[in-house]
Amino acid sequence: MGVKALLAAGIATAAALSACGGTAESASGTVRLLTHESFVLSQSLIDDFQARTGLVLEVVTAGDAGSMVAGAILAAGAPTADVLFGVDNTLRSRAVGAGVFAPYASSAADALRPELRDDTAGGLLTPVDFGDVCVNIDDGFFASAGLAPPSTLEDLASPEYRDLLVVEDPGTSSPGLAFLLSTVARYGDQWPDYWRRLAANGVTVAGSWTDAYMGDFTKGGGGGDRPLVVSYATSPPAEIVYASDPKPERPSTSVMPDGCYRQVEYAGVLAGASNPAGAQAVLDWLLSPEVQADLPLSMFVLPARDGVALPDVFTRFAPAIANPLQIAADEVAAGVPDWLAEWGAVMGR
Amino acid sequence: MGGGDGSLSLPRWVGWAWLVPGAFLLAFLAYPLVALGARILDGLGQSALVPVGTGQVAALAAAQALASTALALAVGLPMANVVSRYRFRGRALAQALVTIPFVLPTVVVALAFRSLVGPGIPQGLFLVVVAHAYVNLAVVARIVGAQWAQHDDRHEAVARTLGAIRWTAFRTVTLPALVPSIAASAAVVFVFSFSSLGIVLLLGGGSTRTLESQVLRQTSVLLDFPGAAATAAIQLVVVSAILLGGAALSRRSPRRVMRPIRLRRPTSRSGTIGVRVTSAGIAVLVLAPVLALAVDSLRSRGSWSLAWWQAIGSVDAGTTRIGSPLSALGTSISYALITAAIAAVVGGLAAVAVLGRGPTRWIALVAVVPLGVSAATVGLGTLLAYGRPPLDLRATGLLVPLAHALVAVPLVVAVVAPALRGTDDRRLAVAACLGARPTRAFLTAYGPVLRIVMLASAALAGAVSLGEFGAASFLARATNPTVPLQIVRLLGRPGEESYGVAAALAMVLVAITLVLVLLVDRLGTSRQPAAVGTP
Repeated sequence: MGVKALLAAGIATAAALSACGGTAESASGTVRLLTHESFVLSQSLIDDFQARTGLVLEVVTAGDAGSMVAGAILAAGAPTADVLFGVDNTLRSRAVGAGVFAPYASSAADALRPELRDDTAGGLLTPVDFGDVCVNIDDGFFASAGLAPPSTLEDLASPEYRDLLVVEDPGTSSPGLAFLLSTVARYGDQWPDYWRRLAANGVTVAGSWTDAYMGDFTKGGGGGDRPLVVSYATSPPAEIVYASDPKPERPSTSVMPDGCYRQVEYAGVLAGASNPAGAQAVLDWLLSPEVQADLPLSMFVLPARDGVALPDVFTRFAPAIANPLQIAADEVAAGVPDWLAEWGAVMGR
Repeated sequence: MGGGDGSLSLPRWVGWAWLVPGAFLLAFLAYPLVALGARILDGLGQSALVPVGTGQVAALAAAQALASTALALAVGLPMANVVSRYRFRGRALAQALVTIPFVLPTVVVALAFRSLVGPGIPQGLFLVVVAHAYVNLAVVARIVGAQWAQHDDRHEAVARTLGAIRWTAFRTVTLPALVPSIAASAAVVFVFSFSSLGIVLLLGGGSTRTLESQVLRQTSVLLDFPGAAATAAIQLVVVSAILLGGAALSRRSPRRVMRPIRLRRPTSRSGTIGVRVTSAGIAVLVLAPVLALAVDSLRSRGSWSLAWWQAIGSVDAGTTRIGSPLSALGTSISYALITAAIAAVVGGLAAVAVLGRGPTRWIALVAVVPLGVSAATVGLGTLLAYGRPPLDLRATGLLVPLAHALVAVPLVVAVVAPALRGTDDRRLAVAACLGARPTRAFLTAYGPVLRIVMLASAALAGAVSLGEFGAASFLARATNPTVPLQIVRLLGRPGEESYGVAAALAMVLVAITLVLVLLVDRLGTSRQPAAVGTP
């Protein structure tokens, strides 16, 4: 498979180069970046990229991450774009299996964080950013109740924290699925039992992150009654960034450091791309220090590149998660359908 | 009546008219279904043929559909009784009101129910069932009402003189006589609720599901195309079985001679009160959700405001990431126009083919088949057939209107075919005798009727396209959402503004849909009386 794909990519590159008619530029023309609708980068970065490389960057957004990858799978081998950004570690296995990506090893990959450096699905993908899905805490609620906030997954199932937690349905929500995976990673085969205890302890299930955070959570503005919600480790800094002036000194929420699930977003050159050289240039650019430094405030994710300085609001209010849980991509792809069915049976949904 | 010797002088091309609808159905119904089947075979050996949990979802969807059908019948039968049998002031209005929920886009209905109940009632099975019953009131009221109006009351009179109390007379005489129409309407309501998508997504809270919503989930969340295709195939089988069963049940009773409908006045005081209460109930039931939606589109931060309506017009509206609401309206209207053109031509020619002789007249029957194929099946099949290389039509923007035309063609045939058959074809013979060429004679005879019914059916097709959600959610490009898709996306975003703008957009859709349906209705009644009867 590796050799074949390599050969295919080589032929495609040769074809693209000959199509250029022998111009000196290794990459030129228009390059298309396929991504999800949450993709945001500062416009100045995109302008810089175009000025520096002479390429015209066309960003093609195709719905949420799931729909975007679904479209890429359907078009595998004859894509409508050249490079894809935004496939994550829960979705990547199906896309890789469908032959969506061509191998490419960016020279910038050496600068990635050590634990991400070899996370490439056999040379097909490059990590660009990561983030953690964690339980968020309404600090004020626990302060005024005179109760210590929960600190472990186990606490969430204990009677002291009865009727306080809202989670998202893993079948319809990406953070919901991440939280289910974190319980599978922690409890192994015993995870349904943990969920039975959560249910007995009065957990609420919402259909989406919006419904959970903005509706059921006490600090989401929706007048909810749940001081614990499954959200992101970067939600507290986002609370400050999105607050209207005058901005509060500190967020009213914090993160429970245990039981976080690590999500990694990758980029990859698409197999059969019409501008593979341009695709590689875009991928290198996504790993550049400038773009990596822009990620936290534009998309609320953390840079995959090592040693990138984080904005003040992140260093203060989004502490690094020490031991996030994770399940190998192949296991996720094979297990998710069964896990969702089992979860539905346990939760009566 | 049509047929007869007139067909002798029909222009030659009528004999070939079936080719266009035939090719259309082959390309956009048969081939996508084949692509769907191929994808199921692809998945053989890779994973379970039938995705895990499908049986459970199917069972839950069936229970939900049964509850929806029961509620629609419980509320719809009294309405059918009053609207189709009694003469009272505002009867025409009541009849029109009953139809409104059925013509509203499902996404709009779902949003209207959210507005009506507010955050008080949690989303889930209950809301879904109520919304399904709401949409389908018209199905029960129209289908059962048509038979009830024909029912001969003297049978009850006899039963009552023989000592039966009112309820017994109803149960033993009236109800059995209505069974065929109740079965027919129940089958339609069941199928609609069983394969519902927009209402389930917006009101189901994630826990209430249908096979239809599973197909969408399997494609865009689990990325399991063989599984999605298998789920769609299972749903196709279930839906076809129910529709055929319903048709068989409703045919069981012997056909009676049609009697002229005679509306009566309520005879007793309690009867008068019953009619008044029911007709007032219709108005409240139908209008309450729509009014709640209208109010929500005009309320901002606790006071009256036009802010959300202004946000539709401005390009940014705080919704830049998902495109401006106005551009979605533009997309929807252009899709509706293309749909109307395609559906009118394809459906119109299928109806014209019925006039010809020989086996090709069956094209009209075949053209009705898409009615039994769910939106997700059409959407996924079309995506698999034309949404990827070598045949990638996504960039042309034609996939959505083509899928919508497929959904609308059966309705066009249903409008045009009876009108053509009802046209007096002696004019054709007269024109031919006077020396007109066949095509000229055809236009003389059928032109006036065709012009009106084609316009009406095009308006109908346009209305279908404007409100369609299921197929569009598979086929629309992310950068060019239709209005129903835009409403769903807005609802997926936090904030009062997203909700307010969604409500305003939904009200625009309500207005356009009502205008189109009114137009169809007007055009329908302006036809010659001879065109009314269906053989």
